[in-house]
Amino acid sequence: MISDELACLIRDGYNALGELGFAESLSGYRLYHWADRNSLSQARVYRSSKDAREIAKYDSSGAYRPLKGAPNLPRGWVLELPNINDLKRALDFFYPGAIATWLAFREGKTEPVCLRQTLNRQTGMYRVTRKLTADQAQSLVREACRSDSRCLRTILWGIEPDHPPDFLPASKSDPTVDQTGQKRAALPFLCLEACNLLVAAARTTVKKTSR
Amino acid sequence: MIEKRKSALVLVGHGSTLNPDSSAPTFQHADEIDRRGLFAEVYCTFWKQEPSLREVLRMVESDDIYVVPNFISEGYFTETIIPRELELTGPVTRRSGKVIKYCEPVGNDPRMIDLLLRRARDAAPGVPPEKTSLLIVGHGTSLNQKSAEAAHQQVRVIREKRLYAEVMEAYMEEPPFIADWRKNTSQKHVVVVPFFIADGLHSYQDIPVLLGIESARTAAASQQEIFRRNPYSLDGRELYYASAIGTEPLMADVILDTVVRFDRKHLYDLAA
Repeated sequence: MISDELACLIRDGYNALGELGFAESLSGYRLYHWADRNSLSQARVYRSSKDAREIAKYDSSGAYRPLKGAPNLPRGWVLELPNINDLKRALDFFYPGAIATWLAFREGKTEPVCLRQTLNRQTGMYRVTRKLTADQAQSLVREACRSDSRCLRTILWGIEPDHPPDFLPASKSDPTVDQTGQKRAALPFLCLEACNLLVAAARTTVKKTSR
Repeated sequence: MIEKRKSALVLVGHGSTLNPDSSAPTFQHADEIDRRGLFAEVYCTFWKQEPSLREVLRMVESDDIYVVPNFISEGYFTETIIPRELELTGPVTRRSGKVIKYCEPVGNDPRMIDLLLRRARDAAPGVPPEKTSLLIVGHGTSLNQKSAEAAHQQVRVIREKRLYAEVMEAYMEEPPFIADWRKNTSQKHVVVVPFFIADGLHSYQDIPVLLGIESARTAAASQQEIFRRNPYSLDGRELYYASAIGTEPLMADVILDTVVRFDRKHLYDLAA
């Protein structure tokens, strides 16, 4: 069970994922924004894993957060959850599939998919993205996925088949590096394949060039 | 009542990177089904939101998985995008010890007709149907004919009931176009029901502009104090705009019936 594995990982000392911090508590588990870890007594308390979905929906300015890996989670809340299943569910609302993806990758059950393969299978309005050149792809990914402002996931895919993501800073493709730059005991937060937002951005790039 | 305590239910929605309400009905119905405790696991996945179709099956731990598209019709998404992204080989896909059962979209349920009629009634209470044009609006797309066919079929069945003075169809991306509603309807009262899953980008923000009840795209429904101010007086006509039918709470039961229908239809494939 994924939640059993998560419980083991927490006992082993992991206490962070993306912008989140978590820990065992007297009544179960506590989940919060890492930056609030020293001021949790002032945070608003929530008790349902589903509250996580609402908290993750908007940033602190009220803007919609379509990309869950973006480093702009709002602060000032704490989730008090009764058990590990609820913690797992809450983490899945903040960072959908992050834990399952890491566990599957660690067990060799899943592989990264290169950007070219992702773009080449697109149809309809995204079919045009197969025209994205390698150079365009590299600059796009370097900018659109950067950890300091766009997405905290660690990228394991390259642009072309069998190519590593060596066009990125080495830290961006190293699962042992905490992408928030804080050197915490963070669970790896992997990106095994370009998301739909990047495919949409690729379309914009191609359209701009062909104009 | 179905019970699938060893199976997972994966609801597939379109989702949106622009409108937070687009995924709301998919989450709403998943929460309701989860609350009833009928499945071991219930997950939502989206084309435009996370978890993506590429990620969601990693999250599922059951070996028996029902995938139900929370889409209003068969078409480009149900025939191209979802099977491709989930790497499905047909209605039943066996992979790595798992059985993935790909169900019909919820919009195929026969109760959609009743839902459309209920929406029309609720949007225009007290307005006599025999003096009203009912306009069913859908997406329509050149990518797949079935998208518009589903709405067309609903219109045909509702028309045969002879409840409304006229029952018309209109689409965003193919004729008859929504923007032409003035010339394509004849009655003073016009009730417009979006044949959509969510009050999202298209249904709440785009279509009101095409109808002329908004001059530009408004904020999302969840960021408004009042959902709609029906009726809208336009060129001597009274227009009533309804909420998308996919937000009906009954849709949770429609999803469960879709699973039941799948089992009935694919009894022999599953026994193989």
